[in-house]
Amino acid sequence: MNHKNLIILRKTIQIIFFLIFILTIAVAVYPFKAYFFTKLFLIIDPLNAIGTQTATGYFNPIMLLSLPFLLSPILFGRAFCGWICPLGTTIDLTDNILNKRHIKTIKTRRVKYFLLILFLLLSILGFQLFWLLDPLPIIWRSFAIIIFPIVYALVYGFVELFINVGILPDFFSRVNEAISNTFFSPHPPTASGIFLPLVIFLLILSGSFISKRFWCKNLCPLGALLGIIARWSLLRRHVVTSQCTACSLCDQTCKMDAIYDDFTSTNTSECIICLNCTTTCPTDSTEFKFSPPTKVKQEANLTRRSLIFAGIISLLGAGFLKLTAKGKENDRLIRPPGAVTEEDFNDLCIRCGECIRVCSTSGGCLQPGITGMGIAGLMTPRADYHLGYCEYECNLCGQICPTEAIQKLKLKEKKRYKMGTAIIQKDRCIPYRLNDNCIVCEEHCPIPEKAIKLDEKKIFSSFYNSEIIVKYPYVIPELCIGCGICENKCPVEGEPGIIVIKEGEERIKI
Amino acid sequence: MDRRHFIKNSLLLTGSVFFNLNNLLPESGIPELVLVKNGNPEQMTIKAIELLGGIKRFINKEDVVFIKPNMSWDRSVEYAANTHPLIVKAAIEACFSAGAKKVIVADRTCQEARRCYRNSGIQEVAKKAGATVLFVRENQFVSVSIPEGEVLKSWEFYRPALEADKYINIPILKHHNLAGLTIGLKNIMGILGGNRGRIHRDFNRKIVDLNRVIKPTLTIIDATRILTAHGPSGGNLKDVTKAQTIIAGTDRVLTEAWAVRIFGADPSDFPFIKLAHSAGMGKSDTKKHKPLTYTFQK
Repeated sequence: MNHKNLIILRKTIQIIFFLIFILTIAVAVYPFKAYFFTKLFLIIDPLNAIGTQTATGYFNPIMLLSLPFLLSPILFGRAFCGWICPLGTTIDLTDNILNKRHIKTIKTRRVKYFLLILFLLLSILGFQLFWLLDPLPIIWRSFAIIIFPIVYALVYGFVELFINVGILPDFFSRVNEAISNTFFSPHPPTASGIFLPLVIFLLILSGSFISKRFWCKNLCPLGALLGIIARWSLLRRHVVTSQCTACSLCDQTCKMDAIYDDFTSTNTSECIICLNCTTTCPTDSTEFKFSPPTKVKQEANLTRRSLIFAGIISLLGAGFLKLTAKGKENDRLIRPPGAVTEEDFNDLCIRCGECIRVCSTSGGCLQPGITGMGIAGLMTPRADYHLGYCEYECNLCGQICPTEAIQKLKLKEKKRYKMGTAIIQKDRCIPYRLNDNCIVCEEHCPIPEKAIKLDEKKIFSSFYNSEIIVKYPYVIPELCIGCGICENKCPVEGEPGIIVIKEGEERIKI
Repeated sequence: MDRRHFIKNSLLLTGSVFFNLNNLLPESGIPELVLVKNGNPEQMTIKAIELLGGIKRFINKEDVVFIKPNMSWDRSVEYAANTHPLIVKAAIEACFSAGAKKVIVADRTCQEARRCYRNSGIQEVAKKAGATVLFVRENQFVSVSIPEGEVLKSWEFYRPALEADKYINIPILKHHNLAGLTIGLKNIMGILGGNRGRIHRDFNRKIVDLNRVIKPTLTIIDATRILTAHGPSGGNLKDVTKAQTIIAGTDRVLTEAWAVRIFGADPSDFPFIKLAHSAGMGKSDTKKHKPLTYTFQK
């Protein structure tokens, strides 16, 4: 195969993996069955395995699948970054659109090793923060909870509009309906906490303005981890030295700035084997082949000074996170059913957004949390009963969680699992405030025996000008599982007449 | 309205029906109310429609029919929280046999729509029977003014339901702590937009006002199994009683009143039936207006 065809092959594989990635998100929807497939890109991620398990000491056997992936750079270098990584592919796309002038970033690329060491140290100190920069959770959540809903809302809305004004034939309405019913809830997803994930995603993509693959070269901790091992990569770039005219074209096309000044030697920790240099070489003297590592001077990845610096920062950071730890005093912080204890939850959760995507209630009950959970708990999923509620017959969030931060519950267990307790706000609740009937909370309560009971009193109502029987709701805490449907459906506008607080919540100890 | 009371009453009712209801046709010859018992839900529905004069009495060729079952809850058939799927199936098939152009089945559910549509079993049979099963979407509501409304002057309604040529209401009879029972008139909640919980205040007058907007061509009440307590969502098989009955008719108040009697209660205890009667929506006197009854032999 000649070089051009190889690049076509690389691009095809990139597109195929990107489509597979999109499919893992698309199928994560009720009635959900593809338990394993949908987690694919997250369970092979060694950073998830290392970060979550070091920070919590919780062994999750499925994470062993990341081991072959971790060792793959010995054979293929950082080919994952160039051929498979969905974030890498997305960045290639934005580079093509946004990057006008490629500025080399050679000095700053050490930062990613620094970040890797820093986050590893933080994990050892008990705080898993890889979620902030780990590319696979980032790209999963960015597509699942930001791009998917936005694209869906736009496409669905515009198709409906075009049909209504007669630009499109009615037939498209059926297509529109079928697609949206297969991959989305009929109620458009609403989001209360996507601001922070959106900012992170946009910042990553805006690197394209400066340099190609800016993120991958300078910040990506997964790239750093693979890069360390890729030093000994067998697949590497070879240049026939006698034919090299030092024209520097290869260096100019290299996205990763991985080619040294002599144009013949390569930094294999940086090279993502995109093969672009093989086609630009005017003497056709560049190729990639398997061969044992030659002794080439490799720049030091990290100085001792920066290692010490990382140590100090991680200690300070751990102290800071400990100080700002929150959640205990926030009685409105309701976690998904099956969530492990708060501190372990923050460390096991990689903020991939799987649970948020699959959450099947109208509009989505699970939302990435921003306030009231401390910095260590940023973006962890919380139940937002203003937007949704926990479906009684649904246990999908626990089935889908790749790190078991939300433990798998059988449906039978889930229906008894207590997320919190409803309390009635008598100053807002209609029967208590207006002496009139409502019972909306009681009517929706999914507990077969009804956790909300009604107290009947005969009173004289000036509204009806007659004696009426008013049914006043009260909650039986022993029956209530805190699913929040009462809070969600309460007809009182604004702050509801019944809310769920954390009191009595079950959490699984690991 | 406990279970014992209910069984006693339904037995009495069966008895009375057995003794004096051979050919109780109104003067016109075509009954306005029928009661079918002891068959399977599909058989009974087919029979009920047949006794009412056949589906062609209600559905014309090229009609767009809107069928409104109750499928509000994420519960399977046996919990009696949703209309029996086979009744919906029989109704859809009947409509098509009369030449209906399109049959739409939809309900604004109380729980997540996909779960309710699927687990009620209605989505599957309706699709198989050729109906268009629609999820009720927010952008499909239109504001309708109710000039004769006593307390409600306007509300948002589901457009496909308003635009359909014919409207078939297929509620299920079940216990409800506010209305006492939820049957056909309350089933209109499933085509309403907005904050439906607000209807619960001054419920009786509001539900009658809302029913002024749409008059069902036909009402088929599912009393094949009845949720006698912890309604309308249920969830406990102990609260479900078999009744194997279908009430069908053109008078939405009379069908309602008879459903109440099937449950073992007195229609005059239900203010919304009285109000609907005085609003001119139909007859409510179950002593005067009796159904034509058909009982399947085992």
